[in-house]
Amino acid sequence: MKQLTITIQSAIFDFSRNKGRTFLTSLGILIGVLAVVLLTAFGLGLRVFIEQQFESLGSNLVRVVPGKILQGGGFRGGSSAMGTIRFDEKDVLRIERVKGVKMVVPVFTKSITIQGASESIFSDMYTSTAGVFEALNVKPQAGILFTERDVSKRSKVVVIGPTIAEKLYGTPKRAVGNTIKVESQTFRIIGVAEKKGGGFGGPDFDSYVYMPYKTAFIFNPQKTFLALIILAETEDSIPKVKRGVEEELLVRYNEDDFSVIEQQELIGAISSIFSMINTVLLAIAAISLVVGGIGIMNIMYVTVTERIKEIGIRRALGARKSDILLLFLVESVILSLLGGAGGLLLSAIIVFFIHPYFPAYISMESVLLALGVSSAIGIIFGVFPAKKAADLSPIDAIRYE
Amino acid sequence: MIKLSHVRKAYQIDNDVEFVALHDISLEINRGEFTALVGPSGSGKSTLMHIIGLLDLPTSGEIVINGDDISHLDDNALSTLRNEFVGFVFQQFNLINKLTVLENVLLPTYYARKKLSYDPEKRAMEILDRFGIGSKANSRPNRISGGQQQRVAIARSLIMSPDMILADEPTGNLDTKTGDEIMALLKDLNREDNMTVVIVTHEPDIAARTNRQIRIVDGSIESKNP
Ligand SMILES: Nc1ncnc2c1ncn2[C@@H]1O[C@H](COP(=O)(O)OP(=O)(O)OP(=O)(O)O)[C@@H](O)[C@H]1O
Ligand SMILES: [Mg+2]
Repeated sequence: MKQLTITIQSAIFDFSRNKGRTFLTSLGILIGVLAVVLLTAFGLGLRVFIEQQFESLGSNLVRVVPGKILQGGGFRGGSSAMGTIRFDEKDVLRIERVKGVKMVVPVFTKSITIQGASESIFSDMYTSTAGVFEALNVKPQAGILFTERDVSKRSKVVVIGPTIAEKLYGTPKRAVGNTIKVESQTFRIIGVAEKKGGGFGGPDFDSYVYMPYKTAFIFNPQKTFLALIILAETEDSIPKVKRGVEEELLVRYNEDDFSVIEQQELIGAISSIFSMINTVLLAIAAISLVVGGIGIMNIMYVTVTERIKEIGIRRALGARKSDILLLFLVESVILSLLGGAGGLLLSAIIVFFIHPYFPAYISMESVLLALGVSSAIGIIFGVFPAKKAADLSPIDAIRYE
Repeated sequence: MIKLSHVRKAYQIDNDVEFVALHDISLEINRGEFTALVGPSGSGKSTLMHIIGLLDLPTSGEIVINGDDISHLDDNALSTLRNEFVGFVFQQFNLINKLTVLENVLLPTYYARKKLSYDPEKRAMEILDRFGIGSKANSRPNRISGGQQQRVAIARSLIMSPDMILADEPTGNLDTKTGDEIMALLKDLNREDNMTVVIVTHEPDIAARTNRQIRIVDGSIESKNP
């Protein structure tokens, strides 16, 4: 123990005399660890972000969409992935009868241009029943939400997302009571939804225009739906609901024409894509660690040559081959760990500044991994130079000038 | 204590050319002796010294230490003998400059495989104090004089309480006065502590201060004074 402490001390003394060289040698590992840790941090952050997005929609949800989009836990490609069928009100009635189903929310969406008082903006229209607000966990921050009565009366009312409210009328409060025009039809704004976040390629709920689906038949003359959102009574009843819904739909459609997906499957499928991309990036980053390791090996060979005399002295005083091996291994591991710790520190700083914008975070695992991998690199790339030092003959070493 | 019989050391120069540095050396060194190896430059004194100190192995011949033949010992066992049996002192001091004086003296104890019966640090300080350099314990060796460095080297050779000290031209890098002091110190160790000391020197006055001289010429022992 004492010997190890002295070994570490003398290694640190060596490094402090060769600060520039030590820094440059560790830099390779530093960059490698930085790349790996940051990528992992972003990968983890992305996963959390996706899960948050879905969780904000509420659990207990099952979606019915056209086509077979999932296969073996991931997304499926090819032409049959995007289905061509559309659902209608008959499907809604049939599914409502399935045991365990609390509510069926048919959805028809359409990209639209909204004309406000002064300007016009692009948006997505989300047309459904009043139940959509419960299913998607949408609450008003100003005004009210539309009701089943509004749906059956085909009231020309809309609930808009906060982003649209702000763009058109400055504040959500001022938007309520005003009107918007969609394709020359006028609708009254009765409510503004609470902020939900989103965007970044995902659905941007804050820019949606929610409209009673029957009112929206003006824009949807076929009276069809792109998706059915099913709210199950409890989370436990989801598998039963899925089976029931599938049976019900198979009466009218082919197996390949539709998918019944629960929230968790969707999260899993999206996550698996991102983790695949992340793995590829990590593999590339790992190459820089190997390059860093070769840098350490190079410098350790130089160090051994510089210190042949010292090796001879130690051997003359009774050091065994294994003592010399340890001496140089400790040095290469410290060098490598120095780089690893530096990379970790730098990534922590970067993540700290990015965190307000993106939920990237450094997990305990990646800290341990970074330190473990850099020690391993120190050992793997240090062992050859250290072996060379240990195998020097004591007499040749001590006579070396 | 150590007995060499028919020791021969040959260096391979080229494929078929070899240089014989030591021919058929037989000698015995007994406990408490103060011996000088003398002879002209290149005669093989250092080579012999390294073989006695187990830093180098003979090409042929037998070495018996305290009754045990060392020819079948492996590298680890030889390292342990270097650690416990001998203490080396070199002409160029051979201290490690990044360690302090005290750490240099303690260095052999880091490699000790046996449990030491004393507190190494306390003992190191005692030796340094005895040699009048206790105040330099925390200095770096390259910050003290040559004479002081050689005292540190002798202190280091003593820390493991070896059976003998081997000093290869210990005064060679020192002026006459400092050299005399170092010799006095070695003489003192031999007389007071009954330490076995073997030195290499080519200065007759230095050799004259020992009890026994072994003269090497061209790799052979020329004559022996009892
Ligand atoms: N590794 C080696 N390879 C070849 N020849 C060697 C080697 N080491 C020593 N020699 C030769 O062996 C001979 C004895 O060398 P050694 O160092 O023992 O002499 P020495 O008596 O100590 O001389 P000096 O008084 O100059 O120190 C010399 O001729 C030297 O050139
Ligand atoms: Mg010599």
